[in-house]
Amino acid sequence: MINIEIDGKHIDVENGCSVIDAAHQLGIYIPHFCYHKKLSIAANCRMCLVQIEKAPKPLPACATPVAEGMKVFTASEQAVKAQKGVMEFLLINHPLDCPICDQGGECELQDLAVGYGGSASRYHEEKRVVLHKDIGPLVAAEEMSRCINCTRCVRFGIEIGGAMELGQAFRGEHAEIMAFVSDTVDSELSGNMIDLCPVGALTSKPFRYSARTWELSRRKSISPHDSLGSNLAVQVKNNRVMRVLPIENENVNECWLSDKDRFSYEGLNSAERLTKPMIKQGGKWLEVEWQVALEYVSNGLRQIAHETGAEYIGALATPHSTLEELYLLQKLVRGLGSQNVDFRLRQSDFSADSKQTGAPWLGMAVADINHVDRFLLVGSFLRKDHPLLASRVRQATKKGAQVNLIHATDDDLLMPIANKEIVPPAEMTTVLAQVLKALAAAKQATLDTSVQQVVQSVTPSAIAQAMADSLASGERVAVLLGNFAQQHPQASQLQLLAQHIATLCGAKFGFFGEAANSVGGYLAQAVPFAGAEHGMNASAMLTAQRKAYILLNAEVELDMQNPQQALAAMGAADMVVALSAYKHHAMEYADVLLPITPFTETSGTFISSEGRVQSFKGTVQPLGDARPAWKVLRVLGNMLNIPGFDYNNSEAVRDEVLGGTDVSAKLGNVLHGVSAQNATWNVTGLQRVSDVPIYATDAIVRRAASLQKTRDAATPRALIHSVELEKLNLQSGEMVKLTQGHGSVRLSIIADDSLPRGVVRVAAGHTITAELGAMFGTIRVERA
Amino acid sequence: MEKITNFFKTFLLLELVKGMALTGRHFFARKITVQFPEEKTPQGFRFRGLHALRRYANDEERCIGCKLCEAVCPAMAIHIETEERTDGTRRTTRYDIDLVKCIFCGLCEEACPVDAIVETRILEYHGEKRGDLYYTKPMLLAVGEKYEEQIAKDRASDAKYR
Repeated sequence: MINIEIDGKHIDVENGCSVIDAAHQLGIYIPHFCYHKKLSIAANCRMCLVQIEKAPKPLPACATPVAEGMKVFTASEQAVKAQKGVMEFLLINHPLDCPICDQGGECELQDLAVGYGGSASRYHEEKRVVLHKDIGPLVAAEEMSRCINCTRCVRFGIEIGGAMELGQAFRGEHAEIMAFVSDTVDSELSGNMIDLCPVGALTSKPFRYSARTWELSRRKSISPHDSLGSNLAVQVKNNRVMRVLPIENENVNECWLSDKDRFSYEGLNSAERLTKPMIKQGGKWLEVEWQVALEYVSNGLRQIAHETGAEYIGALATPHSTLEELYLLQKLVRGLGSQNVDFRLRQSDFSADSKQTGAPWLGMAVADINHVDRFLLVGSFLRKDHPLLASRVRQATKKGAQVNLIHATDDDLLMPIANKEIVPPAEMTTVLAQVLKALAAAKQATLDTSVQQVVQSVTPSAIAQAMADSLASGERVAVLLGNFAQQHPQASQLQLLAQHIATLCGAKFGFFGEAANSVGGYLAQAVPFAGAEHGMNASAMLTAQRKAYILLNAEVELDMQNPQQALAAMGAADMVVALSAYKHHAMEYADVLLPITPFTETSGTFISSEGRVQSFKGTVQPLGDARPAWKVLRVLGNMLNIPGFDYNNSEAVRDEVLGGTDVSAKLGNVLHGVSAQNATWNVTGLQRVSDVPIYATDAIVRRAASLQKTRDAATPRALIHSVELEKLNLQSGEMVKLTQGHGSVRLSIIADDSLPRGVVRVAAGHTITAELGAMFGTIRVERA
Repeated sequence: MEKITNFFKTFLLLELVKGMALTGRHFFARKITVQFPEEKTPQGFRFRGLHALRRYANDEERCIGCKLCEAVCPAMAIHIETEERTDGTRRTTRYDIDLVKCIFCGLCEEACPVDAIVETRILEYHGEKRGDLYYTKPMLLAVGEKYEEQIAKDRASDAKYR
């Protein structure tokens, strides 16, 4: 510890701490632009110059490490004179267009110019002009003359985003920030550059010129998209969400936000919003009053329950629904006498149901990811599925963590990967068994009988051996399964093998979780095995077609593992009730559309993958006649005379679900009573590998106009290894017909040698590929 | 003593005489009544009357939609909505002043960085129905177009004091 004095106040700080950090600890503000607590030190804005005793010249506080007995004066005559001088230089080339600048009102330069700027400029020569740039649909770089070259955006790209997409080119007077390599900024975290920019050089394109900052009221909310549960500040004007900013929470999203969380608000104001209850009569949709629609639904459900039996009713919800909605949905369905309720729509292997010690979760705190030194990532499109968790893994690799990856595709994670094994989905269990065997040998441990047989039959490859060595040498190891592993047809096998690997190396073991409420769904008991009797899971409900379906937020052709089967089941059903915020494909197969509200218009709770319970309030009034889904389900419960549906608010529902219990006690990833089997997956022909593209995961992002213009939202293409392409006698770029079951689609096929042989990668969750079958399985490719 | 003086003053009608003297002075003095609307009082170039939105000589509207007038307006009489115009500039899609709310303080023209919103010398305007005095962007621009010459002259006279 070093004792220093700042403005007459003494403080003990760590060796190596900078003067600006020490001052902030004391609550002394030093003006700065280029310094940011999460980024490296650049010391190029010079705004933080302070006077230090015995130093002949003022020194930058951000780049000056503390020394014993140092005396710092942040507001002395010399310091203030230096700061004012720097401000005058910064303002020389800064255009005075604050009235039209979107940053106006929240601009660091504007704020500091009030304190340190002169009342008039002494500079009468021509100002520097930097040409505007088009760097993509999210970040506007239209007025680059405003840039003060702090390079925060550049450092963010390198250090947090993982790729240097913006850089500073040229020197001195000609220095300018520009996108290079690809001309656009395609990072899934690019929106953070807008927050970081201290001036109005980088601003939000969707928000551009639509409101001024002082008009917006700021309301807290929670992200409904990925399983991180980012804390949002939803900014509202005239009962309309105008933009979304992060709320700093060091344990969750730090000060960042992924673009999905930040720009998806555009989907809330989409023209496709459903604002009136609708009933289909004689093939035509009629707008009706709530009372009529709800009576129609309750009569219909009651009739089906009486005539054919309640087990012919099934409910499907997305994991993006709130805890309260999921709980009331399952309570309604169980009240009717059915057990068929599920929220795991993209899962295909349900053999782990009720064999697990609790709800599958991350297995560790999100903040602990930064301190892990060995990762084993199984089946995860980490960067696209969990942008901010990927960033945390990236931070860990900076500190020397080794990442071992077992996956079916080799997307660039923008971080060093120590060992990777890219294999077709059917071979993933084998690779895990190899790693397990090598690890057991390294640790000289005897394996559990449940996995012994499978492990005996494999010989570890060199890569599996290297992975085992890497994991065995770690102190803080994490074995994490991604969305792909959860959607995999052998998900429970993967889980079992990964679990044994984790046990052997004393690792944390968990799942990244697909959506905001992937953990909450289990706690809300929205799973078929929660009751004494077991019902049908999401997949079984489609195979054995039901008479009536209740869909909560679900667009079956996009949100389910097998869209073909889902559409067939919906078509065959007598009654489909869709609770949805949007008019969507359900217009084709549903009988009733009930307008419910997205997360900004309802109160609710999401439980993130680390088991963090986060409740939020509505930020704006419901649009039109739309109502929060928990209210709709509550009234439906009353109309069906199901007891226990007299909640006055969503908090009452939440308290009934969680009831002051310790959520962490209900989490658990350990499988019991499942034994590993030798690969029984009979593989014939080309296998489909599907990812759910980052901007196709849920109903809101699918309607966010600007996100849909990004490269990540480009029209899906079929990717295949060039050797396979040659075998099929096709050319890269050619249009092909892809067939699964009785449906086929036409896509262009592209050679991608990073894929393993024998697979075709086709995105799921997209309207273009909705005609296809399951996300995994055999797919036929032929010339169109 | 004071009581006695007051007692006698009441009989002498001193106040009445004083008051009549004043009336008499004004009766013979030069009249200052202005026969409005035939006659008008002189106005200063800073007179704050009806609002106008101005245009540049090339017909481009001055207003850039910065909303500073809306923010500064103490009566909250101004309502503005903006968006990006096709040429990429920030422009208003709506600029309304509720003259019933307006207190003619002049802070809007003070705040305007481009002299777009100004208060003219016009004070003879009226509304016959409810809502007639809710001035929208085209109305304000029309006022500006009609009186541009006068407005420009007044701005020029004021310029040397700013």
